[in-house]
Amino acid sequence: MPSPSREARRRRRAAVFEASSASPSRAEARPPLRAVSGMVLDASPHLLVLAAGGTEVRLVMTGDTRVWHGGRGGLAALRPGRPVIVRRSGRGVAERVWVGIARVSGTVLACGRDTVEVDMGPHRGRARVVIPPHALGPVLVRHPRLEPGYLIDVICVESPDGPRAVRPGTSQPGYRADDLAAPEATAPVPGVLHGTATWFGDAGGEAPDGAAYPAVDSEGAAGGCADAPSGCVPFPYLSLGSEITVHNECGGRTAAVPVVECGCLAARFCDRCVECGASPRGRIVELTPVAFAALGGDLEAGCFNASVHADLPVEEPW
Amino acid sequence: MVTAFQNTQVLLLAAVLLAACAAKLTVRERAADAPDHVHGVPVPAGLARLTAVRRSRGMTVGLGLGEGVLGLALLMTSHLSVRLATTVAFAAATWVVGELRVHRPDAGCGCFGGLSGKRVGRRSVLRALLFTAAGVASLSAPLTGVDVLRDVQVQVGLVFAVEVALLAALSPELAELLERRRMPADPPCERRRSPMAETYATLYESEAWAAHENAIASAVPLDVWREGCWRFVAFAARVDGRDAEIVFAVSTAERDRTVRAGSVQPDSVRAGGVRAAIPGDAALDPC
Repeated sequence: MPSPSREARRRRRAAVFEASSASPSRAEARPPLRAVSGMVLDASPHLLVLAAGGTEVRLVMTGDTRVWHGGRGGLAALRPGRPVIVRRSGRGVAERVWVGIARVSGTVLACGRDTVEVDMGPHRGRARVVIPPHALGPVLVRHPRLEPGYLIDVICVESPDGPRAVRPGTSQPGYRADDLAAPEATAPVPGVLHGTATWFGDAGGEAPDGAAYPAVDSEGAAGGCADAPSGCVPFPYLSLGSEITVHNECGGRTAAVPVVECGCLAARFCDRCVECGASPRGRIVELTPVAFAALGGDLEAGCFNASVHADLPVEEPW
Repeated sequence: MVTAFQNTQVLLLAAVLLAACAAKLTVRERAADAPDHVHGVPVPAGLARLTAVRRSRGMTVGLGLGEGVLGLALLMTSHLSVRLATTVAFAAATWVVGELRVHRPDAGCGCFGGLSGKRVGRRSVLRALLFTAAGVASLSAPLTGVDVLRDVQVQVGLVFAVEVALLAALSPELAELLERRRMPADPPCERRRSPMAETYATLYESEAWAAHENAIASAVPLDVWREGCWRFVAFAARVDGRDAEIVFAVSTAERDRTVRAGSVQPDSVRAGGVRAAIPGDAALDPC
C-alpha cells in the first residue's frame, strides 16, 4: 500500500462525511505563536540567522530575548552549527531561544554510575543519558525509583557525549512501565480529553511538526503499533494524518495539529502536569518541540495542562 | 411503642445478618479489588498479610456462616445470650471497619462479601455503629423475630421501613448490586479494537459495496485508516469511463455496523495529471 498522505485522507473522508465536527468553541482561545526549528548559522546581539527547512531565517534579537542552554544562557551559547528552537513574539523578533535542548523519556533499561540507558519506544530507539552530579539530586527527587522497569523523563542538553540531563521532565509514575491500569473497556470516550501535554524529540529533530497521539490504530495503514498499551484515558482511535485540536489550558493558546507519530510511549505515562493546577492523569498528547513552543509551552518546564479534541467524522442522516 | 421499637430491631438485625450471610456465600470478591500498591507505593507487608487473611475465602465463608447462625437464632429464640452475641459482634465489626477506614480504606470492608469492594468511608462506620445501637436496643426485646413476623403491627412496619431506608442510604453495596445487575455495556465504537477481517466482512456484505462493486478497478485498497468510529477503505475505480476513487466508511461498533460510501476524484485528475504539492502534506511513515 502506498504511503498515505494527510491531505488525501482528508479529501477522501470528505467524500463520505461532508460535515466535520468543529472543535469546541473557546472564547478565550488565543492563536498559536510562531516557532521555528533550525541550525545556527550566525548570531550577533541583534540578529540570529538560522538554516531552517532549506531556507535562511533571520530573526531579531533584543535585550528581552531569553536563551536557554542547559540553564540560562547568553549569546555565547548560539554557536554556529548548534540546533535551536526559537519562539517568535511577532515581526520576526525572537522571544525565547532553546539551544541544543532534548528530551529523553521512556523505560529505564539499565543504570550505571552516572548514566541511565533508556528505551524510548519502538520509534525513537534507545538513548544513554548522562546524569551529572548537580542534576542527580533534582532527578532523584522526581524519580525515586531510578531502576530498570520504571519510567524516566528528563530534559537534557545535547553534548558531545550524548544527551546530558539538566532537570526532570515530570514526576515519575509510581508503577512499573508494564503495570499500567487502563480504563474499563466500556468506559465512554469524552468529547474533549483532559490531561497533560508534553513534547518529544530534540532541537534538531526531523519529524514533521505535529503530535504523537497515544491511540493510533494498528490496522491497515493507520500507523499504530500492535502492542501499544491503551493508556489511562479512554482515547478514541485515530490514524497518522488525523487532526487534533490542542488547547494549552495554562496559556490559553489553541492550535490544530496533525498526528505524525503513534505515541505508544505517551500511553505508558499516567502522570499529571502541575504547571497551572494539577491536571487530570494521562499524557494525552506529545508534541514536537516547535508545536509545543508555539502553543506557549516552555520546553524546559516539560509539560502544560492540556485538552485535546479529536476531529472525528460526524454521523449525519443520509 | 418502646417494645415495638425493640422488636423491630430484632427483625432488622436478623434480616441484615441473613443478607450478609447470603452475600458472603454467593458473591465472591474480585481479586483485583485489593491492590498491592496504593498510588505506586507497596502496601506494608503486615497490612497486606492481614488483608489477605481477611479476604481469604475460608474466612469469608466462616464469617458468613456465623452471621447466618446468629440471624436464624434471632428469629427463633429470644434468649439473652443470642442478643448479647449479636451486639458484641456488631460492636466488634464497628471497631474493625473503623480501623479499616484508617489503614486500608481501598480494600473495602467485605461486610457484604464481594458487594463491599468499594472504599471504606464514614458511611460504613456509621452504619456499623447504628447496627450496634440496634443490638443494644434489642437486648430487652420480648419477642423472637418469627413472633414479630407473625403479627406485624403498624408501628413495627413503619419503624422497619424507615430503618431500612436509612441503612440503604448508608450502604455503598446497593450501587454495586445495581451495577452488577445491569447488562454489560458494549465498548464504545471510538475505542473498540476492530480487526481488518471484521471490517472487510462487514464491507462485503453491505449494500454500499454491492452498489459500487462493479466500478472498483482493483481489489487492493489505496488506503485504510481509522478515525473514531469509522474505518475508511479507499479503492481505485472507474466511474463513467473516468478514473475515480470509491471510499467506504465502515463502522467499528460492536453490533449493527453500517457502511457508507462516496466517490472522489483522484489527486492526479484534480491536479491535471501532476500531483499538486500541498504544504504540510508530507507522506506519513507508518511505524
